[in-house]
Amino acid sequence: MSAPPITRGLLGTGHPSLGAHLAAHGPLPTHGDPVLAAAGLTGRGGAGFPTARKLASVRDAARAARTPAVVVGNGGEGEPAAAKDATLLARSPHLVLDVLALAARAVGADTVVLAAGHHQLAGLDRALAERGDRGRVRLVGLADRFLAGEETALVAAVEGGPPLPRGKNPPVWQRGVQGRPTLVQNVETLARLALLARGESAAGHTLVTRHGHTVDVAEVPLGARLGDVLTVDAGVQAVLVGGYHGSWLPAHVAAGATLDRDGLAVHGAALGAGVLAALPADRCGLRESATVVGYLAAQSAGQCGPCLNGLPRIAAALDRLARPGPPPAGLLDDVARWSGLVVGRGACSHPDGSVRFVASALRVFAPELAAHAAGWCTASSSARPFLPVPAVTR
Amino acid sequence: MTALTDGAFLWYLNRATGLVSLLLMTATVVLGVAVQRQVRLPGLPRFGVVGLHRNVSLVSAVLLVVHVVSAVVDSYVSIGWLDTVVPFVSGYEPFWVGLGTLAVDLTALVVVTSLLRGRLPARVWRGVHWTSYALWPLAFLHGLGAGTDLGSGWVLAGALACAAAVAVASTVAATGRLRSRPPLERAPAALAAVSAGPSPAPFRNR
Repeated sequence: MSAPPITRGLLGTGHPSLGAHLAAHGPLPTHGDPVLAAAGLTGRGGAGFPTARKLASVRDAARAARTPAVVVGNGGEGEPAAAKDATLLARSPHLVLDVLALAARAVGADTVVLAAGHHQLAGLDRALAERGDRGRVRLVGLADRFLAGEETALVAAVEGGPPLPRGKNPPVWQRGVQGRPTLVQNVETLARLALLARGESAAGHTLVTRHGHTVDVAEVPLGARLGDVLTVDAGVQAVLVGGYHGSWLPAHVAAGATLDRDGLAVHGAALGAGVLAALPADRCGLRESATVVGYLAAQSAGQCGPCLNGLPRIAAALDRLARPGPPPAGLLDDVARWSGLVVGRGACSHPDGSVRFVASALRVFAPELAAHAAGWCTASSSARPFLPVPAVTR
Repeated sequence: MTALTDGAFLWYLNRATGLVSLLLMTATVVLGVAVQRQVRLPGLPRFGVVGLHRNVSLVSAVLLVVHVVSAVVDSYVSIGWLDTVVPFVSGYEPFWVGLGTLAVDLTALVVVTSLLRGRLPARVWRGVHWTSYALWPLAFLHGLGAGTDLGSGWVLAGALACAAAVAVASTVAATGRLRSRPPLERAPAALAAVSAGPSPAPFRNR
């Protein structure tokens, strides 16, 4: 399966100005139902939920509750390894802004919010001013935290509170910002909808953040061979797919994997936040993973006991396993047991995602575990971590 | 049947349930504050504190029913069924019995809203639950005035101890002492605690 070729894509606007945007994509047609245009499009925030269904759900919930809905464009990219949403907002902000108004009309919303990192607000404000939309879209700056983009944490931030996740019930599309039905949509999904509404093909591609010799953001066709999208040569030992809530895959498995929902699910992976990281052979996969898990543990919102108590212990154990030398007896069993104790017991999916990452690391780097137990490490490079982890963990 | 309706038996039953209710309601208030302030009791997980608060309060509610029924059934004092819900109309000690009636009404309200907690807006439940702080003093004064035991001796000492416990707990709840760490600071603290120790403390699922 191969997606139809894209004309310009999300990143081919050329310049972030309104003029360049109109020259590249033309004006947004005022007719047409976005729910119809969204057919075949899935969310690009990580969960991959069908966009048309979400739009219809929010619209119906707003009608049933007889209250205007709220539309929130989610540019909260808490994932340190991901840069696709930030890149999109910096290069083609008008694609996202185009669709905010369209989506608001489709679901019956009177409040439109665009949430993004603080450093991006100035550029977005400039783009809003160009369109004369300053009064119509409220910009909300998000804290630099892993969970800031989590749907319910985002709603909390939009309401002015600390970015803490809430429970999954009632769902945000029913009762979100101020108890009103709320459409929370990742900015890449919105930008794709902006192209679909113009009749361009966009649903068959996705933005990925690639980590190899360099780091870049690219628009790639869904259904492509992962090895054609990312350089997975002999110098690569494993590929992290999805991000820090994602999974490690051995290099040979990753290279042949199909880059879509089903193709990755076969290997127990998912596209998640769109991160593809090819770990060089001279790095220690356990050390990289332990650093990430330490970060994830510190980023727990501290609200659910299993997550708050479990992740730090798992992180400490992984840190021990990342050091050469025989580990304490039963430590691996402890990690397995603790992992089982945290899964499914958080208000959000932070414990589940973190444990998925840990399990894949212990599976893929099993040879490295054996080497460490024997007292040595295969890594020859002791440079700074390959996977980016913010220094300040708060 | 004569044994059950015998005046002396009912009188003893009424006094005993009243006294034990005072103890249990005191425990309920103290445990309730522990729940609200997220205090850990030794040997109990946090949900255990919640469960204890709930079960102790339900037991005291059952004792309260026995207390009320025994007072009505006992023909020695003229307290009718109407007096169990309408305050200050009793033929015997209308004021002091009336305080007890008020406390019973509030208890019923608090118990019913708590049993329906999942189906009520949280704000309604919390608002009703706050009346517990009025409920306890009402019941206490009822015990001092209508009761024949609380006024003197070691029972008085126990009653004062209960009052002191509730006063301390209420102060803690009102002033927000024992406030737990803000959520966003908990994870780094937990991480520091785990990595500081030589070996992680056993993580038990409790």
